[in-house]
Amino acid sequence: MSSPTNTESLHPLEIHVLKALGEHDSPLTDPQLVEHTGLAASQVSMAVGWLLTKDLLTLSSEKTTTLVSLTEVGSQFHQYASPSEWIVQSVQKASQEGKSLTVKDLQASGTFQPTELSRSIGLLKKEEAIQLVAGGALEITGNPSQTSDTLRTLLNRIKEGSQPITCFSLEEQGILRQYSVKRGNNLEPFRIDDQTERGYRLTQAGQSLIPHLRKSAGEEISQLTPELLKDGSWRNRTFRKYSISLRPPRLAVGRRHPYREFLDSVKYKLTSMGFQEMRGELVETEFWDMDALFMPQFHPARAIHDVYFVKDPSHAKSIPEPFLSQVAQAHRDGGTTGSKGWNYQYDQERAKRLVLRSQGTAVSARTLATNPQVPGKFFSIARCFRYDQVDATHATDFFQVEGIVLGSDINFRTLLGLLKLFATEMAQAKDIRFFPAYFPFTEPSVELHVRHPKLGWMELGGAGLFRPEVTVPLGVTVPVIAWGLGLDRMAMIALGIQDIRDLFTSDLEAVRNMRRQHL
Amino acid sequence: MPTISIFQHDLSHLLGRTVSPAHIEEWMPLVKGEVKDVSQETGEIRVELQDTNRPDLWCVEGIARQIRSVLNRSQASYPYYTSRGHTKRRIQVLQGMETVRPFVAACAASGYEMSEVALEQCIQTQEKLADTFGRKRETVSIGLYRLASIKFPVTYGLVKPQEARFTPLGFDEKMTLQEILTLHPKGMEYAGILSGHDRLPLLWDADGQVLSFPPIINSRELGEVKVGDTELLVEVTGTDLTMVVLALNIFATNLADRGATIQPLDISYPYETPFGSTVKTPLDMGQAHRISLHAIEQALGVSLEAKSVSEALTAYGYQVKTTRQSLSVRIPPYRNDLMHVMDVAEDVAITQGYDSFTPIMPQSFTVGGLTVQESTSDQIRDLMVGFGFQEMFSNILSSRQEWVDRMRIAGTAYERLVEVANVMSLSYSCLRPSILPCLLRVEALSPRSFYPHLLFEVGEVARLDREADLGSQTLMSVAAINAHPGANFSEIHSYLDLLMYYMGWSYELEPVSHPSYLDGRVGQIRVKGQPVGFIGEFHPEVLEAWQINMPTSGFEFQID
Repeated sequence: MSSPTNTESLHPLEIHVLKALGEHDSPLTDPQLVEHTGLAASQVSMAVGWLLTKDLLTLSSEKTTTLVSLTEVGSQFHQYASPSEWIVQSVQKASQEGKSLTVKDLQASGTFQPTELSRSIGLLKKEEAIQLVAGGALEITGNPSQTSDTLRTLLNRIKEGSQPITCFSLEEQGILRQYSVKRGNNLEPFRIDDQTERGYRLTQAGQSLIPHLRKSAGEEISQLTPELLKDGSWRNRTFRKYSISLRPPRLAVGRRHPYREFLDSVKYKLTSMGFQEMRGELVETEFWDMDALFMPQFHPARAIHDVYFVKDPSHAKSIPEPFLSQVAQAHRDGGTTGSKGWNYQYDQERAKRLVLRSQGTAVSARTLATNPQVPGKFFSIARCFRYDQVDATHATDFFQVEGIVLGSDINFRTLLGLLKLFATEMAQAKDIRFFPAYFPFTEPSVELHVRHPKLGWMELGGAGLFRPEVTVPLGVTVPVIAWGLGLDRMAMIALGIQDIRDLFTSDLEAVRNMRRQHL
Repeated sequence: MPTISIFQHDLSHLLGRTVSPAHIEEWMPLVKGEVKDVSQETGEIRVELQDTNRPDLWCVEGIARQIRSVLNRSQASYPYYTSRGHTKRRIQVLQGMETVRPFVAACAASGYEMSEVALEQCIQTQEKLADTFGRKRETVSIGLYRLASIKFPVTYGLVKPQEARFTPLGFDEKMTLQEILTLHPKGMEYAGILSGHDRLPLLWDADGQVLSFPPIINSRELGEVKVGDTELLVEVTGTDLTMVVLALNIFATNLADRGATIQPLDISYPYETPFGSTVKTPLDMGQAHRISLHAIEQALGVSLEAKSVSEALTAYGYQVKTTRQSLSVRIPPYRNDLMHVMDVAEDVAITQGYDSFTPIMPQSFTVGGLTVQESTSDQIRDLMVGFGFQEMFSNILSSRQEWVDRMRIAGTAYERLVEVANVMSLSYSCLRPSILPCLLRVEALSPRSFYPHLLFEVGEVARLDREADLGSQTLMSVAAINAHPGANFSEIHSYLDLLMYYMGWSYELEPVSHPSYLDGRVGQIRVKGQPVGFIGEFHPEVLEAWQINMPTSGFEFQID
């Protein structure tokens, strides 16, 4: 924090801590601060935290000590008996009464957990303090158990309070570790903790504040309350000044998803340009997804490894006529489209095969078959599925922005005009280039490259005039532009994302942190 | 879209001029190509060719030929398409081939000494044509042989798998066809093409030497072409005569462009083919198309002189005859992509250069707008954001485990999954039937993001519906969850209530039982008496299945 801190903005707790340090020349540790300020440990730790961020305090020493203390179980052992002591005592008592005890009898008493008992019996047997005789009875040998005796000594010593582990001999340390609480076993008598003791001293800035500290902290108002306002008592009080340069707490707020917001802006841009939205189904027939777009059924992009097929039901009930017959005819020999067709046996059953929509153009194909308004402009932002390995550039499903423009004035030059408009409106690009391209359903076909003001040359989209083999069988007699925009790269750069999968991330923190980059 | 390797010096040689990478970039539009990678050291250039209908461009010879014709504004002539009379070499097809692999085309090429780069390119072309154009050898496969060792006539016929033996490429000893199909790597890869046939295709010469076992593998003795060879036989077999001939035409033209003299072969069939019972190959299958100049003018939006169109098309490789208002055009024999006058229009535009056309801005007035679903979604999204909910946006292809098992609805009426048949990974095998699992996934992955978590998503879901024409329905749905230590039914209900109020939808909650929710803390949402969704506190078993340690409630209902 570089800005000078005003003493008036200090919290009362901070003042207490500063004062305590001001009265001592040497650094003070947390426990010492507790002692000198009379505050609770948690209050001291809060105040120290604030003062550290304000650079009024600095860490002067740090020492880690390993401390041993008794657990709840340890206190019980100390007060009554450890398992091994209890075993010896019980067996002794029984033999005095002329009875014998078996392991089962000991377990049946329920004083200790069976695992604990087995460990102690094992230990006592190993150290020959007890032995097993015929019939499973236990017998005292009279030998002392070294471990049991050491445990007792340790319980007595640590009873007084936690002690550094270095106060104990190596042998004792071994036993302490063996009988200390670990993950998965909290029934042990000892606990070993690392305790870090930090010493703090005033920085120069802190030192310079000392003479100006208020005499008694706590008289100033920190929060204005309704009561203070109602009775007007705020007039006699002063308000503590805040450190307004501290970072505020974070809020959980409602917000649109940034990628969706990007697609919203595309959507509103398109409607403002006179485009009407179209929607379609996630599951489509091969007919609308591909056949209607004059992709022959043997097309290489229609193989099993290119499209997701639906399992069950695998086929649609029917394909509407006259579209099925007309499209089939166009594939076979061109029909009335003026084309010679693909010249193969069109399979009407295959046309009904259900797939996950593989291209947004399927939505346009459906629209063409609804006797759409002419002139007309349409768009869809359609979720599509591509059979690809998922990686940084391929998501399982993604959005395609595409559409059509119908009109009797449509030709290659109006197609270029529309693309030029997209370049200006979507990418704020003035420099554009057109390249010949290939799409199965358009001829001529164009690829649009633009010089984005910040990103340089990039491919923005592809378009073309729908082939008459597409439009005529669907009942459309005017020329139609089909266009598609590739906006994901722009979106990713706008959102500072490198991996396309992050557009749809399930990591809430990532979404909360995602924002438009101001390029 | 095939991607091929070409070499700068080889392209220079074929074009007859020194070319720079800048030239290549400039010419790529002529072949709808895109340079992917250039190696300065070796001069290797990786080019992606877009046009799946122009296999003639998937090789350096074809690319050079197209560029050359535009630069020279004329096309080289290939006399072997017009040579008359019988050929001195012949292939006899035997009865029975019509049921297995009916067609073969072949030619001889001599007088060109095979260079290393040319051989490499030949092999690449052979692979690309058989793989992409020939659908992994199913419809077309190609073989190259050393002509001098072959005694004509060659026979193309069927044999029993155990009868014929020869040494295949890549092996040292003779194998039967049966052994090749089960032991040779190519045999194993392509055996499927011949499955179901008890007699298999074979090409052998007049001395009984085997040329090849199409479409699997060539003989090592006759079919291993080496650098320095000057006499070649090229053979194509397949199931579609047009494709077989086209592939041979492309190969023959490539070799002719490198300087070889092409000698056609007669193929004699015991059965009729679309081109008769004796077919001389290579064969120009092209027909003259009469096209109207007006149609091209209309498509391109410019007025054109017949002469300029004729020049443009000639420069692109066409043969053109002009009359006043129409043109008679023929595409070269190595192309077969002229289906419609629009294809010709595009070639005119490409030759003239797309940048030479002045764009016309769209003039027609049209009304833009959103669908009802989309504008309703937008209203809901605005409200939910105002309520303090973070919007999420999820992928919708995932697993049965996420959509069904973790939601405790396996085997119940709520399980209405659209599943993929050709599963690549179980993680992407079903469409989401509801949005809530997407939000629970977020909650499961985000315990470290500070609380409270109020999340929502509006979007499409797909539900199995056997009555529907497409076997499923795509529905627009809205879902929200709240997750924090005090999250409960009452809180999420307040949000639902507020949403319904502002949307102007009156609704009722009907107490029901639903496996995803705690009994007594779940309701069916009904609008106008119709069930549209559920609201409730998630069952601890659901939360455990997602490994969520935070109380979570939620609702989801469809909005169309």
